[in-house]
Amino acid sequence: MIMKTYTKTLQLSAFTLSVALLAACSGPQVRYGDAKAVETVNANYGSTDLQMIAEAMTRSLLQSKAISGSKDAPIVTLADVKNKTSEYIDTRVITDKIRTQLMKSGQVRFAVSVSEMQNQTEELKRQNQSGLYKNSTIAKTGNMQGAQYRIEGSIASIVKNTKDVKDVYYVFNLNLINNESGLLEWADEKEIRKTATR
Amino acid sequence: MPLMKNTLLAFAGVSLLVLAGCATKPPAKEQTIIGQVPADPPKNPVISAETLKSASQSIAVTDIYFKKEGKNLVFIEETRNKTNNNITSTITPRTIEVDADKANASAVTGGPNSSQFPVKFTNLADPKSTAPGAAPIVTPVDTQASSNSSDSETQSSKKSGYEAKMEYGELRYLANPIRGLLIKSGYKVVQAKATVAMPNQGDEYFDIVKRIKAGDFGDADYILYGVLAEVSNTDNVSDIPGTKSTSHQMTLEVTVDFNIIDTKTSQIVASFVASGEGKDVQIDGRDTGYKPSSAKLMKLASLDLAEDVRKNLASQNFITNNPGSAGYERNLKRRVDDDASTLKVYK
Repeated sequence: MIMKTYTKTLQLSAFTLSVALLAACSGPQVRYGDAKAVETVNANYGSTDLQMIAEAMTRSLLQSKAISGSKDAPIVTLADVKNKTSEYIDTRVITDKIRTQLMKSGQVRFAVSVSEMQNQTEELKRQNQSGLYKNSTIAKTGNMQGAQYRIEGSIASIVKNTKDVKDVYYVFNLNLINNESGLLEWADEKEIRKTATR
Repeated sequence: MPLMKNTLLAFAGVSLLVLAGCATKPPAKEQTIIGQVPADPPKNPVISAETLKSASQSIAVTDIYFKKEGKNLVFIEETRNKTNNNITSTITPRTIEVDADKANASAVTGGPNSSQFPVKFTNLADPKSTAPGAAPIVTPVDTQASSNSSDSETQSSKKSGYEAKMEYGELRYLANPIRGLLIKSGYKVVQAKATVAMPNQGDEYFDIVKRIKAGDFGDADYILYGVLAEVSNTDNVSDIPGTKSTSHQMTLEVTVDFNIIDTKTSQIVASFVASGEGKDVQIDGRDTGYKPSSAKLMKLASLDLAEDVRKNLASQNFITNNPGSAGYERNLKRRVDDDASTLKVYK
């Protein structure tokens, strides 16, 4: 009888140990979420803000007279979006997202921006000055197209804190400027308010 | 009642006839040629569509005339020795600058890289230039010194001044693309005689009416002649924003003043200024010591000049906006008409 109880106890212990070992080896749980789902982890600048800004600005820009009233798809380039907030925000991601959505519309063409010029210059130099390429196939120096418009703007924020509440107000401003005339052809802003309570 | 019926039938018949009349389209008078852009009809009152159709107009295109005005700095030292009754004089040009900046910069002034141009700049260091009659007009600015001894006397004088030099000539190589576009537009292009500058040539070099009367342009109806306003070579290096590279730009730019004159009436039928630019761009060219090809720049500048001429001629209605369409047909028609095999003999 004692022997039987001992064997049973031993079996149970072995089973418990195996379950514990398996649980230890399995690691953190990973699951895919909806990239467009509303993110409310905290009041800081997040993915939902990025998506809201890009969507609102693209829609407004495509309705502007400079774009919708143009016979041919105008050539635009991206300039700086200044980060005037106290947070670190990669503003290039915002303009890139706007550019992608504008490109998909087919109503705008984009020229390489200043930050992309290094690669463009090196490619032209390689084709034109290395002497390795067939003349008729070379992308010739001096034929790059200048942009009619440039997109530039800024993002600013006002943050207020109490013991239990954190209130953040973002305002994103975007401008479309005619490079030749210097005239502001279009401007719009997107405001976002986020409040976090304990 | 039958009267009503007949009236109704009559009205119906008339209505049908009217409808049929409205629905009928008039036959097309002109046939469009598929695959060709219709040319704008010439609007110039001198060169009407009728005159172009009835007879192939001929035009002579001169090479581009130029007049080069330069200043040569002359510095002459004259030493005069008087021994008894014998006087000897030695004239030594000491310093000569041939407008160095312009001479080196401009392709037509006889600079070091312009041997292909038919221009020769007079070198005053040549003994002939200081011969009597050829000596420059000089202004005394320096001291005159003299020394006496018992049997000889030496006088030396230093003189300096500017001598204005004029060069007249024709620039070849630039006008051929213009001739080409006029051929495409349906004009018969006549070869003009070259104009040779005479010694002590003046502005009568540009007297086109005199040349027409002298028969330099054969039976041409019009003369397109251009006078070079300026040639400039630029060599600039600039940073490319957003990169570590520089852009080395070498440019040859020509600006020419053009006139078209009717040989029969001496009336100017078109007048404009056109310019052409030949550009060679090298990325980081300064670092690699790149030297541009003058021939390439000249070709690009002449093609660009011809394009500007085309725009100006079209805007002044001398040629159509679509050279190669109706003009080409006219030109082709002229060639067919000129072919001996198509000659018809009327008795």
